[in-house]
Amino acid sequence: MQRGANKKRRLPLALLIVPVVLVAIGAAILLAARGGGGSIIGGGDEPAPPFDFIVKPATAIPTAPDADHAALSANAGEVAQEITPMIDDLYTNAYLDPSNWRHDDYEEVFTAFAPDAAATAEQSVETLTLGATAGDVFDTVEPGKSKLSYQVLFDPDGEPETAVVSVIFRATAERKNGTYLALVSEGEFFLRKIDGWTITAFDVTRDDHETQPPSPSASPSA
Amino acid sequence: MSVLPARRRAALLVALVAAWVAGSALGATQPARHASAAPLFQLEPAHAEYVPVLDGSKPIYILVMGSDARPDEAVESQRADSLHILSINPAEHKASIVGIPRDSYVEIPGVGQNKINTALFYGGPDLVVQTVEQLTGLKMDYWALTGFASFEQMVDDVDGLVVDVPFAMSDEASRAFFDPGVQRLDGDNALAFARNRHDLPAGDLGRSEDQGRLMVAALAQLKKEFNKDPARLLIWVASFMRNGTTTLTLDEVLDLAFTGTAINANKVENAVLPGGNGMVGGLSVVTLNQETLETISKDLADDGLLKKANVPPSPNEPLLGG
Repeated sequence: MQRGANKKRRLPLALLIVPVVLVAIGAAILLAARGGGGSIIGGGDEPAPPFDFIVKPATAIPTAPDADHAALSANAGEVAQEITPMIDDLYTNAYLDPSNWRHDDYEEVFTAFAPDAAATAEQSVETLTLGATAGDVFDTVEPGKSKLSYQVLFDPDGEPETAVVSVIFRATAERKNGTYLALVSEGEFFLRKIDGWTITAFDVTRDDHETQPPSPSASPSA
Repeated sequence: MSVLPARRRAALLVALVAAWVAGSALGATQPARHASAAPLFQLEPAHAEYVPVLDGSKPIYILVMGSDARPDEAVESQRADSLHILSINPAEHKASIVGIPRDSYVEIPGVGQNKINTALFYGGPDLVVQTVEQLTGLKMDYWALTGFASFEQMVDDVDGLVVDVPFAMSDEASRAFFDPGVQRLDGDNALAFARNRHDLPAGDLGRSEDQGRLMVAALAQLKKEFNKDPARLLIWVASFMRNGTTTLTLDEVLDLAFTGTAINANKVENAVLPGGNGMVGGLSVVTLNQETLETISKDLADDGLLKKANVPPSPNEPLLGG
């Protein structure tokens, strides 16, 4: 009886061990394929690294001959504060968020653009984002010291009409083969207030170059 | 009897789940979309831009006026000594400039025959617009007006204008003393260049062409600066709004400025309506050549652009060396 009972237990135990081993193997392969992060089932990616641009003081450009320059300068600073989170998000979505660049999914990037500008932006994915094939090439992307500066054009009544944001974005991307690429995106975005600040024009240059692995002491982001 | 099958079913279920996970994981190692995988990233600089230029098929006509008001006088109630029709074809990204001599003896609505520059004195910019519309048959969409001081300031705000001075100038009255060649003129010198007529063979007609030359230089410089630093556009727009008087809204000025960056200044025709000098009741006047006036007006009405074949000879031709 005792023996028989033991026999009865051995079969399901073996059946349980095999699947556990298979699960472990599957998880290991999945992790390796996805660059070491994320959940196993459901294909989630690690979150985007925290990133904020360094913002230089904004410049006010008046169109009224008798403009109050001090007041406009303060207003220009407020405009910069309004716009900056949007530009932070734009570059996070375009370069830093693995759930975007691993899957060639940059849809969120283009919501910042007015329709005409968006149409052109969508045709410039390789310049304005990490790129359509980034998921095949890179393992990780870490932000570097990146800066924004603002020039804000005010209408004769002192209301902000157009803002030009000058951007210097830097990041370091590690390739799957262990080499590193310094990402540099530089340019200007014109924004107008159309149901919130919207990009109506842009001029952006992408100028990447090979780089060395970051030193352990190097601090990421701004 | 029923215990074993239940355990087996559970074990089978676990095995299936495990197989699915393992299969998914193995599947994830097979790149479906980018079969070649891991391409080398392009390291060549890449550029992307979008400039919201106007692209409508209807030409835009702007009457650009320069008042002879002195610093203590209102620009809108003096004489318009500089008059130009700036016509823009947005669809083709092209423009033409036609200068109207200030002494052109024309019919001024509600005033009668007089020099065209007096229309500003009699009825402000709107009467000048009416006069030009009646003269040419072209409907002006907007007008813009500057005076001496505001013109100088406008030029200084953009750090001067780079102008190819076409011939030497030496005129005490306007303080225009220039060697020929490309040079950056500050506001004071740009005004002198724009005012000089005494040492030009065709006097005011030659001056009108030089004023058009400044407009072409400004267009070229706007484009050049925009290409180097797009934010410079705001400086130009703001300077125009601060120093000029205009029916253009700030939005429209921005739209036109963006459009201006797409125009090749070298291809802008800069013409002056020709005419003959004469005297009427003690007034020195210019009688416009009606045939040329009609040809140019008709040409501009068509698409806003002056065909090269319809550009009259330069009034400064003797100085330009043919």
